[in-house]
Amino acid sequence: MGLTDKPRASPEALLARANREGRGRLKIFLGAAPGVGKTYGMLEAARLARQGGTDVVIGLVETHGRKETEQLLEGFDILPRISVPYRGRMVQEFDIDAALERRPDLILVDEYAHTNAPGSRHPKRWQDIEELLAAGIDVWTTLNIQHLESLNDIVQRITRVRVRETIPDTNFDKADEIVLVDLPPDELLKRLAEGKVYVQDTAARAVDNFFRTNNLVALRELALRRAAERIDSDLLERMQGEGVEGPWAAGERILVCIGPDETSSMVVRHAKRLADLIGAPLLAVTVERPFARLSATARRRVADAMRLAESLGADEVKTLVGADLVHELLRYAKFENVTQIVVGRSRGGWITELLGRSLPHQLLRAAEDIAINVVTPVTPRRPRTARFVPRLTLSRERGLAFLWSALSVTVAILVGRLMTAAVSLPNVSMIFLLAVFFSAIRFGIWPAVFASLLSFLSYNFFFIAPFYNFTVAQPHELLALFIFLGVAVLSSAVAGQAREQAAAAVDRARATRRLFEFARRLSSLAEPQMVAEGTVAEVHRDLGLPAVILFPRDDDLAVIAAWPPEDELDTASMTAARWAYERDEPAGSGTGTLPNVSWYFFPLRASHGRVGVIGLGNESRDEAPLDSEARALFETLAELTATALERSKLSREIAVAKSAAETEKVRNTFLASISHDFRTPLASILGAATSLIEYRSKLPEAARLDLLEQVKDEAEQLDGMVRNLLAMTRVEAGALELRRDWLDVREALDRVVAVAKRRGATQRFSVQTQDQMPYISADQTLLDQALTNVVGNAMRYAGPDAVIALEARFKEGEASIAITDDGPGIAPDVLPHMFEKFMRGKNPTSVAGVADGGEGAGLGLAIAKGIVDAHGGTIAATSPVSGGHGARVTIRLPIEE
Amino acid sequence: MTHATRVLVVDDEAAIHRFLTPALIANDYDVIKAATAAEALKRIAADAPDIVVLDLGLPDMNGKDVISRVREWSDVPIIVLSARDRETEKIEALDRGADDFVNKPFGIGELMARLRAASRHRMQRKGETPNVHVRGLDVDVARRRVSRHGAELKLTPKEFDLLALLARHAGKVVTHRQILSAVWGAAHEHDTQYLRVYVGQVRQKVEEDPSNPSIVLTEPGIGYRLAEPEQG
Repeated sequence: MGLTDKPRASPEALLARANREGRGRLKIFLGAAPGVGKTYGMLEAARLARQGGTDVVIGLVETHGRKETEQLLEGFDILPRISVPYRGRMVQEFDIDAALERRPDLILVDEYAHTNAPGSRHPKRWQDIEELLAAGIDVWTTLNIQHLESLNDIVQRITRVRVRETIPDTNFDKADEIVLVDLPPDELLKRLAEGKVYVQDTAARAVDNFFRTNNLVALRELALRRAAERIDSDLLERMQGEGVEGPWAAGERILVCIGPDETSSMVVRHAKRLADLIGAPLLAVTVERPFARLSATARRRVADAMRLAESLGADEVKTLVGADLVHELLRYAKFENVTQIVVGRSRGGWITELLGRSLPHQLLRAAEDIAINVVTPVTPRRPRTARFVPRLTLSRERGLAFLWSALSVTVAILVGRLMTAAVSLPNVSMIFLLAVFFSAIRFGIWPAVFASLLSFLSYNFFFIAPFYNFTVAQPHELLALFIFLGVAVLSSAVAGQAREQAAAAVDRARATRRLFEFARRLSSLAEPQMVAEGTVAEVHRDLGLPAVILFPRDDDLAVIAAWPPEDELDTASMTAARWAYERDEPAGSGTGTLPNVSWYFFPLRASHGRVGVIGLGNESRDEAPLDSEARALFETLAELTATALERSKLSREIAVAKSAAETEKVRNTFLASISHDFRTPLASILGAATSLIEYRSKLPEAARLDLLEQVKDEAEQLDGMVRNLLAMTRVEAGALELRRDWLDVREALDRVVAVAKRRGATQRFSVQTQDQMPYISADQTLLDQALTNVVGNAMRYAGPDAVIALEARFKEGEASIAITDDGPGIAPDVLPHMFEKFMRGKNPTSVAGVADGGEGAGLGLAIAKGIVDAHGGTIAATSPVSGGHGARVTIRLPIEE
Repeated sequence: MTHATRVLVVDDEAAIHRFLTPALIANDYDVIKAATAAEALKRIAADAPDIVVLDLGLPDMNGKDVISRVREWSDVPIIVLSARDRETEKIEALDRGADDFVNKPFGIGELMARLRAASRHRMQRKGETPNVHVRGLDVDVARRRVSRHGAELKLTPKEFDLLALLARHAGKVVTHRQILSAVWGAAHEHDTQYLRVYVGQVRQKVEEDPSNPSIVLTEPGIGYRLAEPEQG
C-alpha cells in the first residue's frame, strides 16, 4: 500500500500557511542602499493596486522633497501623522491607531527599520507593522539591506558605518513577498551627485564612507543574495506544501553557545549566517552554573545575546542549568541531534587556554562527531576574569582578618617552641602550615598569603639555624615559602568556593522556604483582593522592587493592589498593562512593547485563562533585567498568585451558587407558605361572598350580617399579611426607615390588645406597666406591628383559652417589654430559630381564627425582630416560663437612639 | 325525605366553618363540624353523616389517611377540599376512595353542585339508575344505547364503556386511573394516552362542539367528569 499515495504536504508547511490566513500580507521593497528608488517603486505599484480597486492608504511615506515621488502621492488617501515630543522638539511619527481605525485593505508604511520616538507605543516601526498585520491589514514597506540584523556586523565591516536600526531576520523571512529594487552602483552615485538621494542628517558625516563604489557593490551583492535566498526558501516551502519529495533531508543542526563574553552577540550572528548558508535550523543555549555569580553586565550580555538569537529566528532559545558546562552542552546537543556547535574563543584566561581547559578545547575533546566552530573575536578585549583573585580592599573586616592571621602564626610559633622544647622535631614547618591553612580557609587568599610570608619568616627566624636572624642559609629552605604560598592559594580558593556555594545554598533554601510559606499563606486567603495584596508585598520583599496587580474590571484593568501603595498608573503604563493582559505576553520596561514605561508587566495566567496582570516597577530603565534566578522567582510568584486568584474566584463562584440555591429553597418555602396562608382568607371571602350572592333570600338576617363581617375580617387579615410581607421586604433590603417619635409604651400595649380583641381573640389579656413610664423614641407604626406579631404568635400557639400578659418596665435607659403566655411552650429545638423566616411551630389545637397577620407564613416574628433591630433593640424568647409550660418573648429597646 | 341530608365539615380553619355553616343550612343541610381528624372519625362513627366535606390539610393527620381509615368501614361520600396546585394529593385522595374534590378557594355554588352529585350517587347505589340525561344526550346504560336529541349514536364498545362509566358517576370526577382500570383493565392503569384518544373520539360523537366540550369535561391533571345531569 502507500506506494501509490501522493506524498502528503508537510505539517510545518501547512501550519505556516494556516498561520498566515486571517493575517495581513507583508510586502517588502528591498534595496541595497538609500536612493535606489524603493519608495518610488512602492508607490508606483500602489497606484496599480488602487486602479485595481484595492483600498490603499498611505500610512507614512518619506518623499524627502523629491518631486517625482511627491507626484506619485497625488490622489492617495494619506493618514495624518502624529506629533510626538522628542528632545524638546516635535517629531512626526506614524499614527498606528489612526491606521487601525481606518482599516484599509492595504497600507503603505515607509522605512521598515525606523526607530520610533520614545514614548510611542512600540519602540520600532516593524512592531507597528506587526500589529497592522495581526489586525488583518496588508502592509507594504521599504527596507535597505544593511538594516537586516544578521547582516549588521558584515555591513559594519564593509562600510565602517555603524547601523543602529535593525529588524529581526524572522520578520524578513516571514514577509509574504520581497520586491528587489535594484539600481547599479554607478547610477546611484550619479544620482547622489545630482542631489537626488536624501541622506539623513545623522548619517551625513558617514556619507563619504558609505557611498563608495566598492561598498555599494558589496551591499548590492548582499541584497541580491538575500533576495535570491528568499526565492529559494519560497520554492522550498511551496514544494513542501505541495508534498513534493525533495532533497532537503540534510539534517544539519547548529547550536550556538552563548556566554557572558563581549563577543557573544557576534558569535550568535556568525552562527545565524552559517545556519542560513547551509539551510540548517539554529538552536541557541546558554548554560547557567547554579553557584556561579555573574556580574550585572555579564548577565545583561547573556540576555542581550539570547534576545538577539530570538530575533534572528533561532528555532530554539534555551537556558540550561548545570555545573559542568561541557557536559551540559554536549548532552543537549546530542539530544537535539546537533551537527555543529558554534562557540566564541574566549572563555577563561590564558592559563586555562594554555592548559587546554578552555571551552573549545574541552568541547573538541569530548564531542563525538559534532563539528566545533570556534569564532575568534575581532577585538579580543576580554574582561579580566575575577574568579580566583578577589579584589584587595581594605576594610575593618579585612584588617581584622590580617590581625587574626598574624595571631595564628604567633600561636604556631608558641606551639612550635613548646614542642621543640619537649621533643626534638625534624621539621616544625608543618605547624605553620596549619596556621596558613587556617587563614586561607577562614579569611581568603590575601590574609593567607600574608600568613605564609609571616610563617616563612618566623620559621626561619625561630626554628632554623642560624636562629634569630632571617638569613636563608640553604636554598632548600625557600621551599617552605613556596609550600606555604601554595597551600594558601589552593586552600583559600577551595574554601572560597565552598563558602560561596554554601552561601548560595543558604540563599536558595531561604528562597524555597519563602516560596513555600508564600504559597501556604496564599492558599489561606479567600478574597482575590487579599491574594493580590499578599502577592505585591511578597514580590516587593523578595525582589526589592515596587509591585502592582491589576484585575479586569468593567472592560478595563484596574489597580487592585500595589506595594508601595499606589492606586493609579500613568496612561503609558496602563497601555502596557492592557497590552500584557490582552496579548497574554509581557510588556513594558525591558520588553519589546512600550519599553519606556517604568513597569514591567507580566500576565497572570491560570488554567482557565488570564486573571490579571502583575507589574514590577523598574525606575532605572538601564538596569540589568532580572537575573534568571530572580526571574524564575518572579514567574513562580506570578504563577502561584494566578492559581490562588483563580481558586479564590472559583470558591467565590461556588459560594454564590450555593447561596443562590439556598435563596431558591427559601423562596420556594416562602411561596408555599404564602400561598397556603393567603388561600384561607381568600377561600373565606370567596365562600362568604358567593353564599351571600346565591342564597341571600334563604339566609336569616343574622347569618347575612355575619358573612359580611367575615368578608371584612378576612380582608383585614389579608391586608395585615400584605403589610407584613412588605415590611419583610423592607427589612430584608435594609430599607426600613424609622419615623421616630416619642411614644407611650402603655398606650402601645393597650392598642395592640384592642386590635387583637377586635379581630376576635378569645384569649384573656393583662397589661401591666411600671408607674411613671418615660416615653421611648420609636416608630409607632412599626413598633405596633412588631408587638402585634408577637402577641399574634402567642395567641396562635398558646390556644384559645390562654392568658397573655403584657408587661413593660424600665431599667438602665432601656424599656423592656415582656409578652408571656401560659400555653404549652416552645419546643427546645424550635426555640433557637424562633426569629428566623418561615419558622412555624406545630400547633395541634389551633382552631380559632387568629388575626395574626402573616404569622402562618412564619414571617411574624422575623419581622418583629427586624423592626426591633432597626430600633437598636433586642428580642429574645424563653420557654418554659413556669411549671414546664408557657413562653415569653422579651423586647428590649433603648429609650433614646 | 325522612330527614335532611347531614353534612360533616372537617376543617381546622374556623373561617371556613364560619361561611360554610350558614350556606349549608340555607340549602337545607344539617351541619356537623369537626376541626381535627380524630374528631372527624369520631363524628362519622357516631353521627353517621350522609356526606363528608374534608379538608386535606389537617393538623393532626394526613387527610388521605383519614379517607383510608373511613373507607375501612364506611362508604359515605367524601368531598375533598384542597389547593388547586396539589394535583397528586387530590388524585391520591380520589384513588383512596374520595368521591370528588373542590379546589380552594371555591364559590359556594360549586360545592353545592358537588354535594348534590354525591348525594344522588349515594341514592343511585341503592337502586341502579340506568338512564342519564345531560344537555340533550341520553345514555341508557342497561341497554347500551346512546342518543342525542333522539337520534341514536353509534359508539364502539370501548367508547360506550367509557361513556357509561362517566354516566354512572355523572357530575363526579373519575380519575384517569379509575377509568383505565375499569375500561381497559388494571394492566393499562398508566396508559393515559389511550384515554385521551378515546375521549377525543367520544367527544366527536356526543358533543355539539367537540373543540369546546360541555358534556365530557376535563379535570386537568386528574381525570374526567360528565356534566351534571338534569334531574328526572
